[in-house]
Order: sequence, then structure tokens, then C-alpha cells
Amino acid sequence: MAEVRLQTIRKSFNKTAVLHGISLDIRSGEFISLLGASGCGKTTLLRIVAGLEGVTEGRVEIDGRDVTSLAPEKRDIAMMFQSYALLPHLSVAENVRFPLRMRGIGNRDEQAEKVRAALETVQLGHLAERKPRQLSGGQQQRVALARAIVSNPKVLLLDEPLSNLDARLREDMQVELIEIHRRLALTTIFVTHDQEEALSLSDRIVLLNAGRIEQQGTPDEIYNQPATSFASNFIGSANLVPAEIVDGPQGPVARLGDGQELALATGETARGTATLAIRQEDLSLTTSGAGPAAKIRTRVFLGARNRYVMTLAGETLRALTPNDVVLADGAEVRLTVEPARIRVIRG
Amino acid sequence: MNDRTENLLLALPGLLLLALAFLLPIGQMLALSISGPDGPTLDHFVRFLSDPYYLGVLWRTVRLSFLITLICGAIGFPLAYIMTKVGPRLRLWLVVMVILPLMTSVVVRTFGWMVLLSRSGLIPQMLRDFDLVGRNFALMQTEIAIVVGMVQVLLPFMTLSILGVLTRIDGRLEEAARTMGCSFLQTVRTVVLPLALPGIVAGSLLCFTLSASSFVTPNLLGGSRIQVLAASIYRSVTSAPDWPFAAAQAVILFVGILLVLLPYIKLTGGKNG
Repeated sequence: MAEVRLQTIRKSFNKTAVLHGISLDIRSGEFISLLGASGCGKTTLLRIVAGLEGVTEGRVEIDGRDVTSLAPEKRDIAMMFQSYALLPHLSVAENVRFPLRMRGIGNRDEQAEKVRAALETVQLGHLAERKPRQLSGGQQQRVALARAIVSNPKVLLLDEPLSNLDARLREDMQVELIEIHRRLALTTIFVTHDQEEALSLSDRIVLLNAGRIEQQGTPDEIYNQPATSFASNFIGSANLVPAEIVDGPQGPVARLGDGQELALATGETARGTATLAIRQEDLSLTTSGAGPAAKIRTRVFLGARNRYVMTLAGETLRALTPNDVVLADGAEVRLTVEPARIRVIRG
Repeated sequence: MNDRTENLLLALPGLLLLALAFLLPIGQMLALSISGPDGPTLDHFVRFLSDPYYLGVLWRTVRLSFLITLICGAIGFPLAYIMTKVGPRLRLWLVVMVILPLMTSVVVRTFGWMVLLSRSGLIPQMLRDFDLVGRNFALMQTEIAIVVGMVQVLLPFMTLSILGVLTRIDGRLEEAARTMGCSFLQTVRTVVLPLALPGIVAGSLLCFTLSASSFVTPNLLGGSRIQVLAASIYRSVTSAPDWPFAAAQAVILFVGILLVLLPYIKLTGGKNG
């Protein structure tokens, strides 16, 4: 257990700046997610904490100690790689014992006991003597997790560990990660591009965009109060619609590009040019009734739901509806949105 | 025609060539090695194995081959490792540099070494000038000269064998090892070296067999005093034409190399390749 402090971290590769001064305090025992699209610098940031990458500028502290120029093996961290990085020439048990052996933790018997306990934790005790290549992807994943937690590191670093798993295994692993984190209370930094994963696992989410922190907060804050249009588009892939906020007879309304209007919450104070962020699941479609008219372009059947892609005032909108709402391509529909569910982003 | 016969048909020309150019001469050599004036005999082998001079030649051949292989590995592994770590441009230059010596004939290269190593050559002269060695110091016609010459000839085989395996090792394994408490050298020892083993074994086999059977370089650099088996075979054929004895020596060389190969092949068979 340890706190991690990053101070104005800058990083450039061949004069291309990847991180533009990131400062972040991670509390002891916190599960924090670095969320962002590929190329936003989240993995680079994680590798800087691990010591696999140096910084161009800035300072990294683990547990109050400056580790900026410390080699990775001296940082007392554990990292789980996207490709698992199990050592192919060692058995599962030897892989899990590896960090204990290299750090000289305990004698042979104590190590064997720790390895057994770690493998029990991920329910792989029965495969201890296998070689990694004899395991399925999900099993390799759990071996990598056991190997990461066995030495009880100060900080646990997870680099998109779930992205190579199929949907079902991923859900299982998420639960496993939550439970392990609850039990061991390890300070955990989790890198992902999957917003659902970040929302379901983290105490705090740090949303990165092009090497800067776009927004940070609890999953609830990030989801319900996105601060920028990037945040609202990235989290929940909300629709972004440019609009002019004006006063209507019954309170503020948003005037869209083609003159159609959407009612906003009465408490909305912004006026003038703005961007509306509307979640896909908050749009309801009707064939008759009030609300702006849009034209259906495509229906994507998702099983439990339908996704409709449509055009409204020249903008592409997506809506998630129950799967019993069936509309033909080219049909004209009316859109209704609960005014309180529309987020107005100034500028 | 099914797949099996089709495959067999495709392999046929190669098999035929192998039989004609390899198995037939080997058979002939075996037959020759036990031929005597009065029918089959083991006299040639007895003569070789009971003569301390020839046993010395055999021992020197094996000893030098081991030493050359060891040195090639000690230089080739770090070199190949560095080649996997540098950028693609630099790597290309390094590969060219390693392969370049192969583009000149062994004879030419060996004469080059003769110039450098001879009594008044650059290297002994320099060592003498710095007072590092005595006035009678010589490098030519010593085992050192053979080793130096052969290492240069065989280094590309070792380096490229190891390079081929090293480039297939996932770099993240080394990073993972670092995050698990390994220093750089520990990472090389516990991760890179075991995974590179198939390449090291393949390179060692090449180096050992090629140096045990090499003739030109040891002969020119070692001179007539320091003979290796291949040179001794050559002499048996040319100076006092004694084909059966030469064949017996060739068989001993052949069997000796085979004996070295067997444990090596076992070593890699057990590991994951």
C-alpha cells in the first residue's frame, strides 16, 4: 500500500510530445483508471510509473520517495501486461514464484506457500505444473494476475489486462479484480480504453485526451457530469449537437441548425452558442407527436436493443431503443428527450 | 494421387541428391577405412588410436573446436543481443558487417591474418613495442593463431543463429522481468539466455562441426607443427598416399562429431524450441 504522486510529467519521443504536464495524486489503496483512446498517452504514463520509460520532465513519487530515475526493479511495483508476458520456459508455479525469487522474499517454503495462496486466489491451483502455452487465454490472464499480486507490491499496474479476453471472461475477470482489490487494498492503476470497464472497476477515473487530463472524478461524476464535449462523447458516447440557446416562452430552448427547437431544463443558465450532449439511451423515438423531426438512416440490431442512426439538422445522431421499437430506414421520426437529461456544454 | 505420395514425389529429387552426393561417399569411406591387403581389417584404427602423435592431433582438434565455439558464443551472443536492441538502420549495418567477411574467400582472409600475425606483422610488433611480450614472441604457427582465424571465420554463423531466435523473443518479457525485480543482467540470465538456447545450440553445432573439419585456416595459421585432424587426413592422402588410413581418420572425425552432436540434440529436444 502506497500513495503515488505524479508532478507535471512531460514526455516526448523524438521531439513529439506525448504527455503535456500531467499531475496526479493517487491515494493509498485507491483503484484509479487511466481512460482514453489509443494514443492518448495512458500507457506511456503507466510505463513511467513502472520505470520502463523515463520522463522528459517531472517527478514520480511512490510512498513519498522520489523514484523518477530509479530502475523498475527497485520500485517495488508489479505490472500486468496486455499480452500477459508469462515466461514461456517456466511453469505456472515458477512464473508466479519469479518475483519472490528475484526480490529475495522469504525462503523456499514461504515462497511455495505464497505461490500456492496466489494461485488459489485466481482458482488455478490445479494447473501449477503446466507451461503457459498449455493454458487458455483466460487462464494465462489469471496466472499473470497471480504473479502480479504474489509479492504484495506497493503499486499494482494493469495495462489493458482484459482487452484480449472474450466478453464473458472479461466480465468474470472484472469481478475477480474488484474482489481482489477489496481484499488486498493494493494501490492500483488501471489503463483501459473501455469506458464500461473503467466505470465498473474504479474508485476514480482519469480521462486522458492527447496527453492531457481532460477530466477526473468518481465514475458517477464522470458519467453524469461530463465537463467537456470530449468527455461526454467518450463516456457513454453521447451525441454532440451544436445549438444556440435562447429564451423560449416556457424557459430556455436549444435552437438547432435547421431552426427546430428542443426544450431545456428551466434551470439552465447558459445562453448563446453551445454544444448539447445527449446520451443515446436518453433519446426516445416516436412516429407521431411533438419534438424535432429526424430521418432514420440505419438500424443496428443489438439483441436486447436497437441502435438507430439518423440525421437531425445535418448532424448524425445515434439512439438506443428497446428492441420492440421497429422503424423503417428513411422513416421520419420525432425525437423527445427529458430536458434534465440534456447536458449543455458552453462554447 | 494422395497427399502422401505427392509429398514423397516432391522430396524425391532432394533425397536422390542426398543419396548420391552424401550417403554413397560416406559408405565408400567406411568401406575404405576397413579395407586391407587381405580383406577387412581394423588395423588402420588401431594404428591411429595407439599412436600418441595421432591421439594428440585428435585431442587438439576437439580442444580447439570447443574453444573456438566458446569464444564465438561469448562474442556472438552479446553482439546478436545488441543487434535486436538497436534501430533498424543500425541493425542492417551490423548485419552487413557480420556477413561481410563471408563474401571473401577463407584463403584470402587467412592470408590477411598471416600478414597481421607474422613475426614482423602488426600485432606482434605492437605488443613488443609496448613491452607487453618478450623479444621471441610469436603468434604465427601457434594455437592462438588458429583460434583467432577460426573465430573470425565462424562468428557470423554463431551470431546469425542466435539473432534469428532473439528477434522472436517478445520484448515485453524482459520488461516484465524488470518489473518483477530483475536487474538488467539478471534479466539476460533468467529470461533472454534460456529463451535463446535453441539458437545458441544451433550456432554452437555449426561452429563446432565446421571448426573440427576445417582445413585451410588451421593449416595455414598453425603450420605443419600444429596439426589438426583434417590436415592430418590431407597429409595421409598427399605425402604418402595411404587412402585406407586417411579414410579411417575421416571416420574417427565423423564419429567424434556425431558423439558431440547427440547430447546437444537431446538438450534442445527437451526444451521448448
